[in-house]
Amino acid sequence: MSEKIKNFTIILLTGSFLVLFPLWGIIQSDQKESISERRPLAQLPEITKESVLSGKFMTDFEKYTLDQFPLRENFRTIKAFATLKLFSQKDNNHLYLENGFISKLDYPINIESIEYATNRFRFIYNNYISGKDINVYLSLIPDKNYFLASEFGYPSINYQQFFDYVTEKMDYSQYIDIVHLLEVHDYYRTDTHWRQERIVDVAKYLAEKMGTKVTGVYQKNKVPLPFYGVYYGHLALPLPADELYYLNNPEIEGGTVYDYETDTHIPIYDFQKVYGKDPYELFLSGSKSLLKINNPNAASEKELIVFRDSFASSLAPLLMEGYSTITLVDIRYISPNILKKFISFEHQDVLFLYSTSVLNNSNTLK
Amino acid sequence: MLFSSIPFLYYFLPCVLTLYFIVPKQMKNGVLFLSSLVFYGWGEPKYLIFMLISITQGYFFGILIEKYRGTKRSKLFLAVSVILSLFMLGYFKYTDFFISNFNAVTGLSIPLLKVTLPIGISFYTFQILSYSVDVYRNEVKAQKNYLDLATYIAMFPQLVAGPIVRYSEIEKQLKSRTHTVENTAKGIRRFLIGLAKKILIANLLGQGIASFQASDSKSVLFCWLYAISYMLHIYFDFSGYSDMAIGLGQILGFHFPENFDYPYISKSITEFWRRWHISLGSWFRDYLYIPLGGNRVGKARWFLNIFLVWAATGFWHGAQWTFILWGILFAVLLIIEKMWLLPFLKKAKVFNHLYVLLIVAISFVIFDAPSITQAFSLIADMFGVGGLPFISLESVYYLQNYAVILILAAIGATPIVKKLLNSAKKKKFLNVILQIVEPVFLVILLALCTAFLVDGSFNPFLYFRF
Repeated sequence: MSEKIKNFTIILLTGSFLVLFPLWGIIQSDQKESISERRPLAQLPEITKESVLSGKFMTDFEKYTLDQFPLRENFRTIKAFATLKLFSQKDNNHLYLENGFISKLDYPINIESIEYATNRFRFIYNNYISGKDINVYLSLIPDKNYFLASEFGYPSINYQQFFDYVTEKMDYSQYIDIVHLLEVHDYYRTDTHWRQERIVDVAKYLAEKMGTKVTGVYQKNKVPLPFYGVYYGHLALPLPADELYYLNNPEIEGGTVYDYETDTHIPIYDFQKVYGKDPYELFLSGSKSLLKINNPNAASEKELIVFRDSFASSLAPLLMEGYSTITLVDIRYISPNILKKFISFEHQDVLFLYSTSVLNNSNTLK
Repeated sequence: MLFSSIPFLYYFLPCVLTLYFIVPKQMKNGVLFLSSLVFYGWGEPKYLIFMLISITQGYFFGILIEKYRGTKRSKLFLAVSVILSLFMLGYFKYTDFFISNFNAVTGLSIPLLKVTLPIGISFYTFQILSYSVDVYRNEVKAQKNYLDLATYIAMFPQLVAGPIVRYSEIEKQLKSRTHTVENTAKGIRRFLIGLAKKILIANLLGQGIASFQASDSKSVLFCWLYAISYMLHIYFDFSGYSDMAIGLGQILGFHFPENFDYPYISKSITEFWRRWHISLGSWFRDYLYIPLGGNRVGKARWFLNIFLVWAATGFWHGAQWTFILWGILFAVLLIIEKMWLLPFLKKAKVFNHLYVLLIVAISFVIFDAPSITQAFSLIADMFGVGGLPFISLESVYYLQNYAVILILAAIGATPIVKKLLNSAKKKKFLNVILQIVEPVFLVILLALCTAFLVDGSFNPFLYFRF
């Protein structure tokens, strides 16, 4: 190849790249949302005198071009490969892949965040529980880093210090340690959550420690669709999907769930959600501020209130056998200040069930 | 607008280049000027007016300086032009610095103005200053065509981050320039290499630096990792931007001066400053150091000149004491080298390189520090004085995480690859291979850079605010 042909080739190839992609972007219809990242994508901003003068149009246009770039998902995969393989970096977008599991770096311990969360819990205790004949329990769910980080050389929080700190701050509660019952295979490979079909022992243990009984006999059902968890899209690497199972027994099948938000009854397993952007929302329909599970087949009159994050969505149905009602409160979506409008704290047991990742990043708690 | 952004690469650049190459010769400067206004106004449209005011005063005073050359009026017009330029720069860049220091000394609490620094003001102000002085010195003729002068000052490839192009260097090219396939291809190659330096090396190292700054589990190793990363980051960030500017200039038919020449292979600080930000160093030499008398004065005055020039160089980088200290550090080192050290450094084989790298690494710790106290604290930590552990899990993690990038960056900061390629080109077979591989390699680089831009949001540019 002569120098002249080479020069022509350089101009032709790079010129085509720079011209064809924006043309493609203009021709293709804009996407509304990114399935893999589970977020809405930026749309073409409106151009006004104010938006141009303030620079807002330019900022929004840049976001739009990034979000609507042709073959965006493929480019993200190229970037992930380059980061992890070419540059041998250990994480991409703070996510790492070890042993087939994707985990998100989450360190150091955010004392301020834990303080904030435990102060909110203290508020609940002081205003609704203190002085009443109510048993208060606390259980903490480690994230996948607990099982992967130190083994594979990733920095992670000091979990013992974390647990000690939270239990010390919540000295009004009885701590139920479930960590010894868990291993990394109890979590989805591509998602942050634990697998319902693998935490029966956790449910039994919690029930036992809270003075009730769960037999742990369930029928295991498989969702006939691949499950790509939240980390799958963020890491942007082509990985095999997880399998999504749900467990049934007579209590679960006969139970009802009241959603205070919508004043309606919703299913325990919402199969429509399996087709949505987050199939884990199968369990109790995902993000809900306040739910009450009624179990007419309960052998016990015991009632439970769970202050929780999304991990409890898959656990709560497994506890139904031991309680006539389970109230689930997610204070990320409802302020604790207004709980008395909906819940009468009298004789129930109360369980604070939180994952370490939510407590270490608790700014969304109200 | 950043070169390393999707709107620039995939919207602005194709449109501007298409328009530029299809319009007749006499309209090319018009296209360049208008596109430069769009480029500049994209980020901060309200600051366009200040740039236009600066250009206009430079234009009129240039004509007046020339008209009254040899008279006192000429000097007066030069002084007015220089004062106007420096006032504009001083107001936006240094007012709050002086107010806060005045407050600190007097105990008063005069409110800060908190004005936003217009992008590239330090660069275009210096170009206007050099133009006015050059006209006064009769080194160039005053530009009578407003559009040509405005095109020179506002030209988007070098507007926001240099190199600081002298009017004399492109005076002829503003009137007539040739566009060849060879130059365009070379320009594309230079631009893409600069883009890759910025996105694939500097930005990634920048992420590591941000992690260090956010970490509360520092160690001696982590501090060194930061210092080395920052040193490489700032080089790849700034030289990458200069490469992009020079490459774009080449595509448009201009020949901008080189701004970096592998500074980290220097054997002395004197040599380092001949290789680092060359256009700024030569600007201060020609427009401050020499007018002050340079080295053709007594020793005390010579030292003073060096101090003034390097304090000004530091201050140019930012309105903080850290930058002034950074400049003065180099002044001291340059004096020591000129007086005693240079002969020794010439003989020392490896020590001279280590000496330069160590000094530069430490200097950039000062450069990057939010305050002098924090700079000294970090330097103390680097040498184990701060009581930090030597190593931590986090530092080992980041060392592993950035090892390949650091090695690539270290190799890329030397002329090794360039030398290897040049020797390969001399062999016929390898040359044929290289001719085939080069276009493919450049497209892969572009695709990789695009992938990182599409996925990432970490894309700041360090010299944008200088």
